[in-house]
Amino acid sequence: MSDLSLSQIHKSFGRTEVLHGIDLDIRSGEFVSLLGASGCGKTTLLRIIAGLETVTRGTVRIGGRDVTGLPPEHRDIAMMFQSYALLPHLSAFENVRFPLRMRRRGSRAEQAERVERALETVRLADLGHRRPSQLSGGQQQRVALARAIVSNPQILLLDEPLSNLDARLREEMQVELIEIHRRLGLTTIFVTHDQDEALSLSDRVVLMNAGRVEQQGSPREIYAAPATSFASSFLGSANLLPVTVGPGPVARLADGQQLAIPAGQATPGERLLVLRQEDVEMLPAEKAGDLKARVAIRVYLGARHRYMLDLAGQRISVMAANSLLLEPGEEVALKVGRILLLAR
Amino acid sequence: MTARRETLLLFAPGLALLALGFLLPILRMLMLSVVGPDGITAVHFARFFQDSYYPSILWRTVRLSLIITVLTAAIGFPLAYIMSRVGLRLRLWLVVMVILPLMTSVVVRTFGWMVLLGRSGPIASTLRDHGLVGRGFSLMHTETAIVLGMVQVLLPFMVLTLLGSLARLDPRLEEAARTMGCSFLQSFRHVVLPLSLPGLVAGSLLVFTLSASSFVTPSLLGGARIEVLAASIYKSVTQTLDWNFAAAQAVILFAGVALVLIPYLRLTARHG
Repeated sequence: MSDLSLSQIHKSFGRTEVLHGIDLDIRSGEFVSLLGASGCGKTTLLRIIAGLETVTRGTVRIGGRDVTGLPPEHRDIAMMFQSYALLPHLSAFENVRFPLRMRRRGSRAEQAERVERALETVRLADLGHRRPSQLSGGQQQRVALARAIVSNPQILLLDEPLSNLDARLREEMQVELIEIHRRLGLTTIFVTHDQDEALSLSDRVVLMNAGRVEQQGSPREIYAAPATSFASSFLGSANLLPVTVGPGPVARLADGQQLAIPAGQATPGERLLVLRQEDVEMLPAEKAGDLKARVAIRVYLGARHRYMLDLAGQRISVMAANSLLLEPGEEVALKVGRILLLAR
Repeated sequence: MTARRETLLLFAPGLALLALGFLLPILRMLMLSVVGPDGITAVHFARFFQDSYYPSILWRTVRLSLIITVLTAAIGFPLAYIMSRVGLRLRLWLVVMVILPLMTSVVVRTFGWMVLLGRSGPIASTLRDHGLVGRGFSLMHTETAIVLGMVQVLLPFMVLTLLGSLARLDPRLEEAARTMGCSFLQSFRHVVLPLSLPGLVAGSLLVFTLSASSFVTPSLLGGARIEVLAASIYKSVTQTLDWNFAAAQAVILFAGVALVLIPYLRLTARHG
């Protein structure tokens, strides 16, 4: 059964339409990421699901029930805000108890027990008495998460919850989110502009662009088989090169270099060649490769190097092991692993 | 020059003004209230409390000020809330509208109320036309008239003070409350109200003290029989020329206001 079903959601602010007919079904217990650049409409869509924003057209169903016209308090949801939105005049404990109190769930003692359990889940059991201003950013974030899961909502909405944390804390919280999702099995919708987050956390990624769903699928599908140039450039650091295919199983680059391609993809015409960083191997110029390029910039990353290469009049980015050290201006041979061609 | 000396220098003009314009007159007033023909005396205070006339004026002053404060808060809070939630352009217009009355003299505005509330004014004649009141009905020279006039005069102070604290309130807190099961009114009660309490307290203090010490509007709208303490002090100074008694009344007004305000401040300090 689907927990959430959106059909033909349109949303306009004034005369500008920001969502152009979104259809989306989310299964019970699924962890779905809404991924996209800022301004693509992902947060607006989340706010529509929460009931904080009205739709111009379309229907929102939660658990089979039409909730399109209902205010947030009559929807069985919980939302975690990017700014956490903790109530500054209440302790962490009272913040977590707030949804139970307002929704009149259980007696005072039962509420206290559920709050304790939620605080334990986010490993904050002994800080319940503190005010939000006495907690660190990471701790505030955990309180916000506890507050979102305590009422056991039908749908958990997370609006860029990790974007205010530093890199180390963020990774920690990602692992924790995965664990909590596995343990509680809450249907979760996660809004993010961070592709790594979307790929590592979710069962399904919904890639949005300019108010439309660009592509959706499992993280593996969407990464390995992007359907559009937008999808391929947004997911993973892909280099996109215009090529002409044919005659025969060959792609011709702008500078005349030729690359053999699988016969299955050899429909003649103008195409975009997707070269993912991890699919390109750099070799010294004297070795035989598929393509030749020239080093423009070398960046030391510690574990390896990133090279910016000039290929067919374009800059592409490629990773290389530290054992290979090339200077700017040197020629380099490229061995291409997986080849993916998109319509231009 | 060190930062400390700069601070002192910046502080000096304000401090001097405060000393000359506030501390000195207050000290002088305190002295006046306790001196008589034969040195230090409490006779002026004794006179105030010798019968129920002056205490009843004091009580009326405090009671009306409380009513005025509650009414300005009740009217001003929703107004300030809406002002804090609309766009900046519209807010500016609303602020101008709230401030506009302050640009005319309080005397002129009070005369306006006298026209509205008088026997031949629109309120009385409308009520009379519907047969709701008798021929001689007039709101003038009643406590209701004082309250109406004062609420209008003091509303801007309440609204602007509240707007200051409401505008700083993150609207996402209310949204968060809604997603946690609060209706609009519940989010108002549990989020907006407690978080804007400092503004509400500041506005109430301002309105209460201003209305306890005002005398133009109360004397014009209340007339000679419904006197407030500030008007009585004015009379002592200008008509009976009894400065010592005027000073004693002023001290009593000061103490009366303090008696109301101190518990109020204590209460809010505990909640804040």
